[in-house]
Amino acid sequence: MWPEYTEQSDNFGGKNKMIRVTDDVIIKTIARVLTPFIQVYALYVIMHGHHSPGGGFQGGVILAASLILLLITHGWAETKKKFSETKTAVFCAVGVLIYTGIGVLCIFMGGNFLDYGKLGGLLMVIPPEARSLGILGVEIGVGITVMAVMFSIFFDTSTGGNSPEDETTSSLR
Amino acid sequence: MHEFFLSTSILLCFLVLLCLYRGTVGPGVLNRIAGISAIGTKTLVILLLMGFIYDRVEMFVDISMVYALLNFIGTLAVAKYLEIEGEV
Amino acid sequence: MMLIKIIAVIFMLAGLFFFTTATIGLLRFPDFYSRLHATGKGDTLAVFLCFLGLSLYNGFNLTSLKILFIAVFMCLAQPTATHAISRAAFRCGLKPWMKEGENK
Repeated sequence: MWPEYTEQSDNFGGKNKMIRVTDDVIIKTIARVLTPFIQVYALYVIMHGHHSPGGGFQGGVILAASLILLLITHGWAETKKKFSETKTAVFCAVGVLIYTGIGVLCIFMGGNFLDYGKLGGLLMVIPPEARSLGILGVEIGVGITVMAVMFSIFFDTSTGGNSPEDETTSSLR
Repeated sequence: MHEFFLSTSILLCFLVLLCLYRGTVGPGVLNRIAGISAIGTKTLVILLLMGFIYDRVEMFVDISMVYALLNFIGTLAVAKYLEIEGEV
Repeated sequence: MMLIKIIAVIFMLAGLFFFTTATIGLLRFPDFYSRLHATGKGDTLAVFLCFLGLSLYNGFNLTSLKILFIAVFMCLAQPTATHAISRAAFRCGLKPWMKEGENK
Protein backbone atom coordinates (compact mmCIF):
# COMPACT_ATOMS: atom_id res chain seq x y z
CA MET A 1 0.00 0.00 0.00
CA TRP A 2 2.87 2.34 0.68
CA PRO A 3 4.41 3.30 -2.67
CA GLU A 4 7.85 1.87 -3.23
CA TYR A 5 10.53 4.40 -3.90
CA THR A 6 12.19 3.69 -7.21
CA GLU A 7 15.47 5.18 -8.25
CA GLN A 8 14.77 8.05 -10.55
CA SER A 9 17.06 9.00 -13.34
CA ASP A 10 19.48 11.58 -12.06
CA ASN A 11 21.44 14.12 -13.97
CA PHE A 12 24.96 12.90 -13.54
CA GLY A 13 24.92 9.17 -14.10
CA GLY A 14 25.62 7.92 -10.60
CA LYS A 15 28.19 10.39 -9.30
CA ASN A 16 28.01 13.88 -7.86
CA LYS A 17 24.65 13.30 -6.32
CA MET A 18 25.07 15.85 -3.59
CA ILE A 19 24.69 18.68 -6.07
CA ARG A 20 21.79 17.15 -7.89
CA VAL A 21 18.56 19.14 -8.21
CA THR A 22 16.04 18.65 -5.44
CA ASP A 23 12.72 17.66 -6.97
CA ASP A 24 10.76 19.31 -4.23
CA VAL A 25 8.86 22.53 -4.74
CA ILE A 26 8.84 23.67 -1.11
CA ILE A 27 12.57 23.53 -0.52
CA LYS A 28 13.42 25.14 -3.83
CA THR A 29 10.99 28.02 -3.30
CA ILE A 30 12.09 28.72 0.26
CA ALA A 31 15.76 28.64 -0.73
CA ARG A 32 15.13 31.03 -3.56
CA VAL A 33 13.20 33.41 -1.29
CA LEU A 34 15.68 33.38 1.59
CA THR A 35 18.99 33.67 -0.26
CA PRO A 36 18.94 37.47 -0.88
CA PHE A 37 18.16 38.17 2.77
CA ILE A 38 20.99 35.94 3.91
CA GLN A 39 23.39 37.80 1.64
CA VAL A 40 22.26 41.22 2.84
CA TYR A 41 22.73 40.05 6.42
CA ALA A 42 26.24 38.86 5.56
CA LEU A 43 27.09 42.30 4.18
CA TYR A 44 25.75 43.83 7.40
CA VAL A 45 28.01 41.55 9.45
CA ILE A 46 31.06 42.56 7.37
CA MET A 47 30.36 46.27 7.66
CA HIS A 48 29.75 46.29 11.40
CA GLY A 49 32.92 44.43 12.31
CA HIS A 50 34.35 47.13 14.54
CA HIS A 51 31.10 47.69 16.39
CA SER A 52 29.52 44.28 17.08
CA PRO A 53 30.57 40.66 16.65
CA GLY A 54 31.47 40.13 13.04
CA GLY A 55 34.12 41.25 10.64
CA GLY A 56 35.55 39.83 7.48
CA PHE A 57 35.79 36.14 8.23
CA GLN A 58 32.36 35.69 9.70
CA GLY A 59 30.67 37.63 6.91
CA GLY A 60 32.52 35.61 4.30
CA VAL A 61 31.34 32.37 5.85
CA ILE A 62 27.71 33.49 5.80
CA LEU A 63 28.03 34.53 2.15
CA ALA A 64 29.46 31.10 1.34
CA ALA A 65 26.59 29.48 3.24
CA SER A 66 24.07 31.23 1.01
CA LEU A 67 25.84 29.97 -2.09
CA ILE A 68 25.99 26.43 -0.73
CA LEU A 69 22.26 26.61 -0.04
CA LEU A 70 21.71 27.51 -3.67
CA LEU A 71 23.98 24.67 -4.77
CA ILE A 72 22.34 21.87 -2.85
CA THR A 73 18.80 22.84 -3.74
CA HIS A 74 19.03 23.92 -7.35
CA GLY A 75 21.87 21.80 -8.66
CA TRP A 76 25.02 22.63 -10.48
CA ALA A 77 23.43 23.77 -13.76
CA GLU A 78 21.54 26.64 -12.20
CA THR A 79 24.34 27.77 -9.91
CA LYS A 80 26.85 27.73 -12.75
CA LYS A 81 24.99 30.58 -14.41
CA LYS A 82 25.62 32.76 -11.39
CA PHE A 83 28.88 31.54 -9.94
CA SER A 84 30.97 29.39 -12.25
CA GLU A 85 34.36 27.90 -11.47
CA THR A 86 36.19 30.66 -13.28
CA LYS A 87 34.40 33.29 -11.24
CA THR A 88 35.33 31.46 -8.04
CA ALA A 89 39.02 31.57 -8.90
CA VAL A 90 38.80 35.23 -9.90
CA PHE A 91 37.10 36.14 -6.61
CA CYS A 92 39.79 34.33 -4.65
CA ALA A 93 42.43 36.50 -6.24
CA VAL A 94 40.49 39.78 -6.14
CA GLY A 95 40.13 39.63 -2.36
CA VAL A 96 43.84 39.20 -1.80
CA LEU A 97 44.49 41.96 -4.34
CA ILE A 98 42.35 44.40 -2.37
CA TYR A 99 44.13 43.48 0.86
CA THR A 100 47.68 43.88 -0.41
CA GLY A 101 46.69 46.79 -2.64
CA ILE A 102 45.66 48.85 0.34
CA GLY A 103 48.87 47.88 2.13
CA VAL A 104 51.09 48.88 -0.79
CA LEU A 105 49.12 52.10 -1.24
CA CYS A 106 50.10 52.99 2.31
CA ILE A 107 53.74 52.44 1.38
CA PHE A 108 53.37 54.79 -1.59
CA MET A 109 51.98 57.49 0.68
CA GLY A 110 55.09 57.33 2.81
CA GLY A 111 54.44 54.93 5.68
CA ASN A 112 54.92 51.28 6.57
CA PHE A 113 52.94 48.34 5.17
CA LEU A 114 49.29 48.64 6.28
CA ASP A 115 49.86 51.98 7.99
CA TYR A 116 46.39 53.37 7.35
CA GLY A 117 47.06 56.75 8.91
CA LYS A 118 48.97 57.91 5.88
CA LEU A 119 45.91 57.43 3.68
CA GLY A 120 44.50 60.62 5.13
CA GLY A 121 46.21 62.69 2.53
CA LEU A 122 44.66 60.73 -0.30
CA LEU A 123 41.08 60.73 1.00
CA MET A 124 41.33 64.17 2.59
CA VAL A 125 40.25 63.10 6.07
CA ILE A 126 41.99 63.17 9.44
CA PRO A 127 44.20 60.15 10.28
CA PRO A 128 41.86 58.38 12.77
CA GLU A 129 39.07 58.34 10.22
CA ALA A 130 41.52 57.14 7.58
CA ARG A 131 42.41 54.22 9.85
CA SER A 132 38.76 53.27 10.20
CA LEU A 133 38.23 53.36 6.44
CA GLY A 134 41.39 51.35 5.83
CA ILE A 135 40.25 48.57 8.14
CA LEU A 136 36.88 48.53 6.40
CA GLY A 137 38.50 48.07 3.00
CA VAL A 138 40.68 45.26 4.28
CA GLU A 139 37.69 43.46 5.80
CA ILE A 140 35.83 43.62 2.49
CA GLY A 141 38.78 41.99 0.76
CA VAL A 142 38.97 39.27 3.37
CA GLY A 143 35.25 38.58 3.10
CA ILE A 144 35.36 38.12 -0.66
CA THR A 145 38.25 35.67 -0.47
CA VAL A 146 36.70 33.63 2.33
CA MET A 147 33.45 33.32 0.39
CA ALA A 148 35.15 32.04 -2.75
CA VAL A 149 37.44 29.62 -0.94
CA MET A 150 34.71 28.04 1.17
CA PHE A 151 32.45 27.56 -1.82
CA SER A 152 35.35 25.98 -3.69
CA ILE A 153 36.09 23.65 -0.76
CA PHE A 154 32.51 22.42 -0.66
CA PHE A 155 32.36 21.92 -4.39
CA ASP A 156 35.67 20.07 -4.60
CA THR A 157 34.99 17.71 -1.74
CA SER A 158 31.55 16.80 -3.06
CA THR A 159 32.58 16.13 -6.64
CA GLY A 160 36.18 15.04 -6.27
CA GLY A 161 37.51 17.75 -8.48
CA ASN A 162 35.75 16.70 -11.66
CA SER A 163 33.15 19.07 -12.93
CA PRO A 164 29.95 17.24 -13.90
CA GLU A 165 30.27 18.17 -17.55
CA ASP A 166 33.66 16.49 -17.71
CA GLU A 167 32.18 13.22 -16.55
CA THR A 168 29.53 12.89 -19.19
CA THR A 169 31.70 14.02 -22.08
CA SER A 170 35.05 12.52 -21.13
CA SER A 171 36.05 9.28 -22.75
CA LEU A 172 39.04 8.47 -20.55
CA ARG A 173 37.19 6.18 -18.13
CA MET B 1 13.79 40.71 36.49
CA HIS B 2 17.11 38.97 36.17
CA GLU B 3 15.97 36.12 38.40
CA PHE B 4 13.13 35.33 36.02
CA PHE B 5 15.45 35.20 33.00
CA LEU B 6 17.97 33.11 34.91
CA SER B 7 15.38 30.54 35.99
CA THR B 8 13.99 30.35 32.43
CA SER B 9 17.49 29.70 31.11
CA ILE B 10 18.09 26.95 33.66
CA LEU B 11 14.80 25.28 32.76
CA LEU B 12 15.68 25.43 29.07
CA CYS B 13 19.09 23.87 29.79
CA PHE B 14 17.33 21.02 31.56
CA LEU B 15 15.11 20.55 28.48
CA VAL B 16 18.25 20.43 26.34
CA LEU B 17 19.51 17.57 28.50
CA LEU B 18 16.25 15.71 27.94
CA CYS B 19 16.52 16.20 24.19
CA LEU B 20 20.06 14.84 24.35
CA TYR B 21 18.58 11.50 25.34
CA ARG B 22 16.87 11.29 21.99
CA GLY B 23 20.10 12.42 20.39
CA THR B 24 22.10 9.51 21.78
CA VAL B 25 19.60 6.65 22.03
CA GLY B 26 17.40 7.26 19.02
CA PRO B 27 17.36 4.08 17.06
CA GLY B 28 18.89 5.15 13.79
CA VAL B 29 20.34 8.34 12.40
CA LEU B 30 17.05 10.12 11.70
CA ASN B 31 15.93 10.24 15.31
CA ARG B 32 19.26 11.72 16.27
CA ILE B 33 18.90 14.46 13.68
CA ALA B 34 15.48 15.39 15.05
CA GLY B 35 16.94 15.61 18.55
CA ILE B 36 19.85 17.79 17.51
CA SER B 37 17.58 20.13 15.58
CA ALA B 38 15.46 20.56 18.69
CA ILE B 39 18.58 21.31 20.73
CA GLY B 40 19.57 23.95 18.19
CA THR B 41 16.20 25.67 18.48
CA LYS B 42 16.43 25.86 22.25
CA THR B 43 19.98 27.18 22.05
CA LEU B 44 18.72 30.24 20.19
CA VAL B 45 16.45 31.25 23.05
CA ILE B 46 19.14 30.56 25.65
CA LEU B 47 21.57 32.83 23.78
CA LEU B 48 19.14 35.72 23.68
CA LEU B 49 18.25 35.30 27.35
CA MET B 50 21.94 35.47 28.23
CA GLY B 51 22.06 38.73 26.34
CA PHE B 52 19.33 40.08 28.58
CA ILE B 53 21.05 38.85 31.72
CA TYR B 54 24.34 40.53 30.87
CA ASP B 55 22.62 43.76 29.67
CA ARG B 56 24.27 43.55 26.22
CA VAL B 57 21.32 42.74 24.02
CA GLU B 58 22.65 44.17 20.76
CA MET B 59 25.63 41.84 20.71
CA PHE B 60 23.73 38.64 21.36
CA VAL B 61 21.01 39.34 18.81
CA ASP B 62 23.54 39.13 15.99
CA ILE B 63 25.00 35.91 17.34
CA SER B 64 21.63 34.17 17.61
CA MET B 65 20.61 35.25 14.10
CA VAL B 66 23.77 33.73 12.65
CA TYR B 67 23.18 30.49 14.53
CA ALA B 68 19.60 30.28 13.20
CA LEU B 69 20.91 30.59 9.63
CA LEU B 70 23.60 27.97 10.02
CA ASN B 71 21.31 25.50 11.80
CA PHE B 72 18.81 25.68 8.95
CA ILE B 73 21.39 25.14 6.22
CA GLY B 74 23.09 22.32 8.09
CA THR B 75 19.85 20.42 8.58
CA LEU B 76 18.99 20.74 4.90
CA ALA B 77 22.41 19.43 3.86
CA VAL B 78 22.25 16.42 6.18
CA ALA B 79 18.73 15.57 5.02
CA LYS B 80 19.81 15.64 1.39
CA TYR B 81 22.80 13.42 2.14
CA LEU B 82 20.59 10.84 3.86
CA GLU B 83 18.12 10.87 1.02
CA ILE B 84 20.89 9.91 -1.38
CA GLU B 85 23.05 7.51 0.55
CA GLY B 86 20.38 5.65 2.49
CA GLU B 87 20.08 5.30 6.22
CA VAL B 88 23.57 4.26 7.24
CA MET C 1 5.16 50.51 31.24
CA MET C 2 4.42 47.81 33.76
CA LEU C 3 1.57 46.49 31.60
CA ILE C 4 3.85 45.86 28.63
CA LYS C 5 6.34 44.04 30.82
CA ILE C 6 3.61 41.86 32.30
CA ILE C 7 2.36 40.96 28.81
CA ALA C 8 5.94 40.09 27.81
CA VAL C 9 6.31 37.78 30.80
CA ILE C 10 3.02 36.07 29.92
CA PHE C 11 4.23 35.46 26.36
CA MET C 12 7.47 34.00 27.65
CA LEU C 13 5.68 31.67 30.04
CA ALA C 14 3.46 30.44 27.21
CA GLY C 15 6.55 29.82 25.09
CA LEU C 16 8.16 27.89 27.91
CA PHE C 17 5.03 25.76 28.29
CA PHE C 18 5.12 24.84 24.60
CA PHE C 19 8.82 23.99 24.81
CA THR C 20 8.12 21.61 27.68
CA THR C 21 5.28 19.82 25.91
CA ALA C 22 7.29 19.53 22.71
CA THR C 23 10.20 17.92 24.55
CA ILE C 24 7.91 15.50 26.39
CA GLY C 25 6.41 14.57 23.03
CA LEU C 26 9.87 14.03 21.57
CA LEU C 27 10.64 11.55 24.32
CA ARG C 28 7.38 9.66 24.59
CA PHE C 29 5.92 9.25 21.13
CA PRO C 30 6.20 5.77 19.64
CA ASP C 31 7.30 6.57 16.12
CA PHE C 32 9.69 8.83 14.26
CA TYR C 33 7.03 10.68 12.27
CA SER C 34 5.01 11.58 15.34
CA ARG C 35 8.13 12.80 17.12
CA LEU C 36 8.81 15.01 14.14
CA HIS C 37 5.29 16.42 14.45
CA ALA C 38 5.95 17.31 18.07
CA THR C 39 9.29 18.98 17.59
CA GLY C 40 8.46 20.66 14.31
CA LYS C 41 5.28 22.37 15.34
CA GLY C 42 5.74 22.81 19.07
CA ASP C 43 9.27 24.17 18.90
CA THR C 44 8.47 26.65 16.17
CA LEU C 45 5.50 28.13 18.00
CA ALA C 46 7.43 28.24 21.25
CA VAL C 47 10.35 30.10 19.69
CA PHE C 48 7.99 32.57 18.05
CA LEU C 49 6.20 33.32 21.32
CA CYS C 50 9.44 33.64 23.28
CA PHE C 51 10.95 36.06 20.80
CA LEU C 52 7.74 38.09 20.68
CA GLY C 53 7.80 38.41 24.44
CA LEU C 54 11.44 39.42 24.53
CA SER C 55 10.91 41.98 21.80
CA LEU C 56 8.06 43.55 23.75
CA TYR C 57 10.19 43.60 26.90
CA ASN C 58 12.92 45.58 25.20
CA GLY C 59 10.72 48.52 24.29
CA PHE C 60 10.41 50.38 21.02
CA ASN C 61 13.93 49.94 19.72
CA LEU C 62 15.93 48.89 16.67
CA THR C 63 17.03 45.80 18.58
CA SER C 64 13.40 44.76 19.06
CA LEU C 65 12.90 44.92 15.30
CA LYS C 66 15.91 42.64 14.81
CA ILE C 67 14.49 40.14 17.29
CA LEU C 68 11.22 40.13 15.34
CA PHE C 69 13.21 39.44 12.16
CA ILE C 70 14.74 36.37 13.75
CA ALA C 71 11.27 35.19 14.78
CA VAL C 72 9.88 35.54 11.24
CA PHE C 73 12.91 33.74 9.82
CA MET C 74 12.44 30.83 12.23
CA CYS C 75 8.77 30.60 11.24
CA LEU C 76 9.86 30.22 7.63
CA ALA C 77 12.89 28.01 8.02
CA GLN C 78 12.07 25.48 10.74
CA PRO C 79 9.05 23.90 8.96
CA THR C 80 11.13 23.60 5.79
CA ALA C 81 13.87 21.74 7.63
CA THR C 82 11.29 19.42 9.22
CA HIS C 83 9.79 18.76 5.80
CA ALA C 84 13.23 17.93 4.41
CA ILE C 85 13.97 15.44 7.19
CA SER C 86 10.62 13.68 6.87
CA ARG C 87 11.05 13.43 3.12
CA ALA C 88 14.47 11.88 3.61
CA ALA C 89 12.94 9.37 6.01
CA PHE C 90 10.27 8.46 3.50
CA ARG C 91 12.85 8.00 0.75
CA CYS C 92 14.83 5.71 3.04
CA GLY C 93 11.82 3.47 3.34
CA LEU C 94 10.89 4.10 6.98
CA LYS C 95 7.40 2.80 7.55
CA PRO C 96 5.10 4.54 10.04
CA TRP C 97 3.95 2.79 13.19
CA MET C 98 0.64 0.98 12.98
CA LYS C 99 -1.52 -0.41 15.71
CA GLU C 100 -1.76 -4.17 15.95
CA GLY C 101 -4.59 -5.70 14.03
CA GLU C 102 -4.76 -3.25 11.16
CA ASN C 103 -3.59 -4.44 7.80
CA LYS C 104 -3.85 -1.24 5.90
